[in-house]
Amino acid sequence: MKRKPRVGLSVLAIVISLIWIFPVYWMLNSAFLPTVTLESFTPTFLPLGGSWNNFSSAMSDGTFFSALSMSVAITLIVVFFCILFAFLAALAISRFRFRGRKSFVLAVLLIQMLPAEALFLAQYKMMSSLGLLNSIVGVSIIYTAAVVPFTIWMLRGFVAGVPADLEEAAMVDGLSRFQAFMRITFPLLAPGLVASGVYAFLQAWNEFTVALILLPAEQSQTLPLWLRGFVQASATRATDWGQVMAASTLVAVPVIVFFLIVQGRMTAGLVSGAVKG
Amino acid sequence: MKKSMIGAAAAATAAALVLAGCSASSDDATTSPSADASTGSSDGAMTAVSADITLWLMGGDTNDDLRQYLKDTYAEQNGGTLTIEEQGWSDALAKLTTALPDADNTPDVTEIGNTWSPTFTSVGAFSDLTDMYDELGGDSLLQSFVDVGMVDGKNYALPYYFGSRSIIYRKDVYDTAGVEVPKTLQEFSDNAAALKTAGMSGFYLGGSDWRNGISWIFANGGDLAKQEDGTWVSTLSDPKTVTGLQMLQDLYTSGSNAPVTEFDSTPWININDNDSTGKPEAATIMAPNWAHWSVGDTSLDDDGNVVVGDDGATAVRTWSDDKFGTFALPGVDGGAAPVFAGGSNIGVSASSQHQDAAKQLMTIIFSDEYQTMLAGAGLGPANLDFTSALGDDQFAAVNIEAASNSKLTPAAPGWAAVEGSGLLEEFFGKVNSGGDVAALAAEYDEKISPLLNN
Amino acid sequence: MSSPVTSAKRDTRSEASLKAALQARKAKRRARLTPYWLIAAAIGVIVVGTGYPTVWQLVTSTQKYGLAQQFGTAAEFIGFQNYVDLLTDAEFWQVVARSLVFCFVVAAVTLALGLAFALLMNAVGKAARLTLQISMLLAWAMPIVASMTVWTWLFDTRRGVVNYLLDKIPGVDMYRFDWFASSWTFFLMAGIIVTWMSVPFVAFSIFAGLTQVSEEVLEASALDGASDGQRLRLIILPMIKPVIAIVMLLQVIWDLRVFAQIKILQDAGANGSQYDLLGTYIYKVGTGAQDFGSAAAASVIVLALTIAISWWYVRKLMKEDV
Repeated sequence: MKRKPRVGLSVLAIVISLIWIFPVYWMLNSAFLPTVTLESFTPTFLPLGGSWNNFSSAMSDGTFFSALSMSVAITLIVVFFCILFAFLAALAISRFRFRGRKSFVLAVLLIQMLPAEALFLAQYKMMSSLGLLNSIVGVSIIYTAAVVPFTIWMLRGFVAGVPADLEEAAMVDGLSRFQAFMRITFPLLAPGLVASGVYAFLQAWNEFTVALILLPAEQSQTLPLWLRGFVQASATRATDWGQVMAASTLVAVPVIVFFLIVQGRMTAGLVSGAVKG
Repeated sequence: MKKSMIGAAAAATAAALVLAGCSASSDDATTSPSADASTGSSDGAMTAVSADITLWLMGGDTNDDLRQYLKDTYAEQNGGTLTIEEQGWSDALAKLTTALPDADNTPDVTEIGNTWSPTFTSVGAFSDLTDMYDELGGDSLLQSFVDVGMVDGKNYALPYYFGSRSIIYRKDVYDTAGVEVPKTLQEFSDNAAALKTAGMSGFYLGGSDWRNGISWIFANGGDLAKQEDGTWVSTLSDPKTVTGLQMLQDLYTSGSNAPVTEFDSTPWININDNDSTGKPEAATIMAPNWAHWSVGDTSLDDDGNVVVGDDGATAVRTWSDDKFGTFALPGVDGGAAPVFAGGSNIGVSASSQHQDAAKQLMTIIFSDEYQTMLAGAGLGPANLDFTSALGDDQFAAVNIEAASNSKLTPAAPGWAAVEGSGLLEEFFGKVNSGGDVAALAAEYDEKISPLLNN
Repeated sequence: MSSPVTSAKRDTRSEASLKAALQARKAKRRARLTPYWLIAAAIGVIVVGTGYPTVWQLVTSTQKYGLAQQFGTAAEFIGFQNYVDLLTDAEFWQVVARSLVFCFVVAAVTLALGLAFALLMNAVGKAARLTLQISMLLAWAMPIVASMTVWTWLFDTRRGVVNYLLDKIPGVDMYRFDWFASSWTFFLMAGIIVTWMSVPFVAFSIFAGLTQVSEEVLEASALDGASDGQRLRLIILPMIKPVIAIVMLLQVIWDLRVFAQIKILQDAGANGSQYDLLGTYIYKVGTGAQDFGSAAAASVIVLALTIAISWWYVRKLMKEDV
């Protein structure tokens, strides 16, 4: 929308941004301060004289790196397969008329409504009998199954937003359906795929209730579980808040970096009609 | 001389603990003579096939030195590797529920909270250890903990360590206010009310903190539940329990500034001098006896920074006897009040595929060396013969005194469900908010009784 | 009379056309089967990942399933007893009521703020828009465990920044205010946190819809003399109604099922049943009290409840040519 930007609104936008980002800033601020300072009753607003100590102590026993590799592996697998499966399904729903289509769409919608808190016993039993506890594969299957329904929904809008006529036109010009798809449709869908990928990435990266049960061994923890370990104080130690904040920052940083890299494409993707009714 | 006096007190306490344990259940520990009757000495190394096993510990109470000893000794005696995994208390129930029945993923040996032992032993989660009972310590083991690990006369989960809660107070604050160490429970309440100011609790007690609060129920002769004709019934409405709760309500209202929803937390923060105000938030706290390591003053190094411990973050605190003191919570008529018996049991998972190796680890845990090390670390050893290793300083003395009269939660099969539902935190919170004690007790008896008999 | 040559030619032609017809039919069948192949993978992973647990849950909801059953004792079939017990339990309905109120209030606030921010994003220049978008992105990207840690810290009774800043407002005494003391303040705190986490997604989705609104229509209406307010109400909002509708549906579903944030808050300060929403209630009945049969039944009831709430939208969707 090309309009003369109004100063008042711009200021409002900045103010809202600052308010919204406050917790993120607080996390970073606290990560650099020593815990003894954090325990005081007057909050310190700027990390002057801070240090990297909390970060080094959070990473000192090396479990961060195994948790990181676990999270990265699971997340990448989930994102890849989720996008692949959801995209194919979205294609089917949008481009084809087939018997059972409406039932399938309905089922996709309803599956997202099932509460997950009591499922862990069954999920554990299933994964254990398949020998997939403490494994990347086991958790990836559950995550993918959880994220695919919404991703199908999201991608459906994108695919519907690219008219089939464009392909038809290209085919009239002599391209095969497949070539038409790859050359015309796919590039237009790319932003949508990126947007869906980001959503799936977030879901897989942050999840911890399922991970808690399916990854019981210490060496197979993901980052959220690793972080949770810091928050649980033992009987002999109070929570080390500085360390917790530093650990939180370490968990959040990869996501934020990933986000900043793809955000250009993503806002383009959302802009081109992500969630259509 | 002080040393021998305390030693004698320890021995007498040990005897008292043994006797006190008998009140919990009427079953005698049946001991079957084992083929190679070995005593509880450390070189009773069983021969077991070399196997890699896993031990689960609850929380961080077993320190790194103890863990290393277990790993090294197991490797020496068995040849296999011992992996130790620590589970946080808040997730432990879910993990035990899913992992213990699963032969492929169960821990071979696991620590289990003493209040959860009846629940898990009664469903068959643990292996029968009756044959090893004598070898592991027999009647020298803390009997009240042995009893909660028994089903139908057989031993499934044995004691691991015990601890008790005792009082830490600010001597300097007491002296300024002219308050003396109380001799009775009522004096304790009166002191707390007298010491309380807007900025400092006379006695810091969270409103929903039932693990400290039940001491008042026990001290007045009440209990949380009892068994009637084989069925467990919640006894919050029992007149003695109500008296205790009333006393607690008065104490909380007149003596504590802690939030009413706070449950078992880290009360020692409050008794240290606050960094900003230089004053303590509490004149008195009740805490597990190892909390004294976190109580004291910090010191500055040459650069003006606070001296921190090996982990690089926690400040090192130094106790000073003119500022801090400790005593056992006094009973209604003097002596030591019955406090909540903290601690854990330990057992072999019934579905473990390395039963012999797991039992070998048990012999290491119950060996003289390890029991001595436990006591040296401030954890009451399962084998009472070694309580003297707790030391002879004021902390050990108070620990033993408080432990001598400590009580466990009811050994009902459904007790873990009661704890897991948060009903006690809820009940205590409502009582301390100023509710009608008798009415609330009746209401919660109805909620708790159905859960007890699973 | 057809000559052999002509008939041969006709034969080849008819053979060719027969072949073509066969191929076309095969292609058609293949095309008819294509969509099924396309959804096979998605169905497959959903069935494997969600199918068995869901079936298990339905079966277990009709059984008396406790800790003993985990360790091998057979489970007793009790029909709908679990459901009856739950539906006649006053406490369960309290939790349901609380969850519904929480869900609708939070969803409404999230939607209002998301819409407002989206309109704002649309109305300002690039720099301001990017700033707003990036801050939204950062809030959305923070892992739940990390952001909950920060939020419990911010609301801490003694050292929290929220109390500190609010106390500075003259006339307001927030010194050592305990947000966990009453369920009202607890859920206000929870509501603020969940809203903070949810608004970015709503804002971005609606913003996407806004950019689709045709420029010409808006310019035409401006030429016709429509005010900004009229333009917003009569043109923009109707055009993005579908986006708003689906975002609202998703928010309602997600806010009804909220679990992690409430659980972490409870662990941090107060875990009585007056602080329970449906998610933590089910968790307490299941993992806490080890009554997995009831927990399963409660989950099915929540599923039915969610379907009931969203039924109007789902039906509308099915009627349209989706």
